[in-house]
Amino acid sequence: MRSGDFKETYSGLIVLSDSTWVWIWSALLAAALVCAPFVLNAYALSLLTLVLITLIGALGLNILTGLTGLISLGHVGFLVVGAYAYAIAVTKHGLPPLAGFAASGLVAALASVIVGVPSLRLRGLYLAITTLAFSFIINNVILEAAAVTDGARGISVLRPTILGIDFDSDAAFALLCLAVTVLTLFACLNIRRSRIGRALVAIRDNDTAARTMGVNLVTFKLYAFVTSAFITGIAGALLGIYLSFVSVEGFPFLLSIEALAILIVGGLGSVLGVVLGTVFIILLPEVVQTVLHFAGSGVEALFANGVHELKAMLYGVVIILFLRFEPRGLVGIWHDVKRLWVHWPLRF
Amino acid sequence: MTPLLHLQSVSKQFRGLTAVSEVGFDVNAGEICSVIGPNGAGKTTLFNMISGVLRPNAGTITFGGQDLARVKPSRFAAIGIGRTFQNLALFKHGTVVENILVGRHVHLRSSVLEAAWFFGRTRREEIAARQRVEEIIDFLEIEHIRDAVVGTLSYGQQKRVELGRALACEPKLLLLDEMVSGMNLEETEDIARFILDIRDELGITVLMIEHDMRIVMDISDRVQVLNFGRRIAGGTPAEIRNDPAVLDAYLGRSAGQAQAQPVEQQGAAADA
Repeated sequence: MRSGDFKETYSGLIVLSDSTWVWIWSALLAAALVCAPFVLNAYALSLLTLVLITLIGALGLNILTGLTGLISLGHVGFLVVGAYAYAIAVTKHGLPPLAGFAASGLVAALASVIVGVPSLRLRGLYLAITTLAFSFIINNVILEAAAVTDGARGISVLRPTILGIDFDSDAAFALLCLAVTVLTLFACLNIRRSRIGRALVAIRDNDTAARTMGVNLVTFKLYAFVTSAFITGIAGALLGIYLSFVSVEGFPFLLSIEALAILIVGGLGSVLGVVLGTVFIILLPEVVQTVLHFAGSGVEALFANGVHELKAMLYGVVIILFLRFEPRGLVGIWHDVKRLWVHWPLRF
Repeated sequence: MTPLLHLQSVSKQFRGLTAVSEVGFDVNAGEICSVIGPNGAGKTTLFNMISGVLRPNAGTITFGGQDLARVKPSRFAAIGIGRTFQNLALFKHGTVVENILVGRHVHLRSSVLEAAWFFGRTRREEIAARQRVEEIIDFLEIEHIRDAVVGTLSYGQQKRVELGRALACEPKLLLLDEMVSGMNLEETEDIARFILDIRDELGITVLMIEHDMRIVMDISDRVQVLNFGRRIAGGTPAEIRNDPAVLDAYLGRSAGQAQAQPVEQQGAAADA
């Protein structure tokens, strides 16, 4: 049992994790995920890919809502902007996919400046409404600007070939998503432990004190918007490729709610929480469907017909249950389990 | 010698209410200066103006020869003004170390991209910041609660963490708003010792609002007295102790003539 920290260098104090076992288990998980696409069947693989893409998007929202405390109901707006930026750049203008990804991040970041600057003085419910309005305005802009976006027809997107590597197969595309996810995870963890992350959390917890410590509220709220939108835009591009077709209908408002549900279920502000929450929320409908399968064909048919509505209801129920019984989210449960594991049979 | 902080007829009105009216005084570098006065005298409003939370309606505040009216609120920490808050303004979900690290903010430079990458400059900066934070933790004798979440600590410990956060800015002028309110005698004496050490070892000028007359009289070089937003007296503790205007403010007219009791006890009575 660990009885304390005995660090001899200051660099030892700022590492991501000082536990060898955390690194070993993370490496094992990564290795398993690298092998998974070659083992899983088509359905499970598609689910895995969806989990990875959703995780990237949720990590993006986590920077804005989890760390900085700025509630965004319109994050699907950045997702759709990213997807369209990629589709227009790659499919319509024939740019290389890497440029397409860069465009998806940068255009979403630009959109976040446009929505962010007027909303800098807003917070809580008012900001939520502004971002909500943004996501609907974006949809209309895309539908009206048919010359650029092909309007309601949408744009089909092919699987990319990057640096000579063909990501056409499902397995290869899953690996691409895995690589982007891992990069995003490390970026988010690093931002969290740097001066940027501390400043964002300081704004969330007490903005007057943050400003007294020299945090420029305007600049750092914009940083949060831009970083968050950049990551979400990349997720949007990947989601567009995953769906192989980018249209306004492909990015329903439910995705915004899904992302918020992930943060609440996982535990606001925690990267580990986002990972746990994403897995939980994406797999929840699948698990429910499997359970209903045993309940009888009538119930299952109902689920198949109204899957969208039932998903929304499920998310609602889960959010309420977590807020009521475990506001710290899955990451809170995880910490409790860890403590129990270390101290059992003692209570603390 | 030009004073470190110079206030000249500073006023602040909130609509009709005048909170601070034509207050002017100097704080010299290396001094421990106290601002005292009954509740509602405008002390915290004055602090808020010196630390950039509020802007004066009239008058000028000069810090190190620089007019503070031309300084953006978020730059106050960078030019060397640090402060603590009357009712604790800590980031209560963070640990002690994280809270004090926020105080290092103005001394770090990494951009978002560098932070995401976390090699090179960011890494060097973070290690240096962490080292400085550990030194401050040593200085304030809070090693044992280093990794505790601030929300779980006692009031006195939280005050000490807030002091640490302000020190991490490495200010030239430290504003302390009622550091020892709600503390017992032992904790108060610890804080008094820290304030003296901060001035003597770290060379930081201290301006503090304080209701506890023992600490004011014992460690201040000079005391400024506010009442109803006006400065009614200023000078050494010994001068303030016997100033008729001060006794008036604390005890009403008759006591001003009687001058029966020393201010220490009367001040404590005014708090209650």
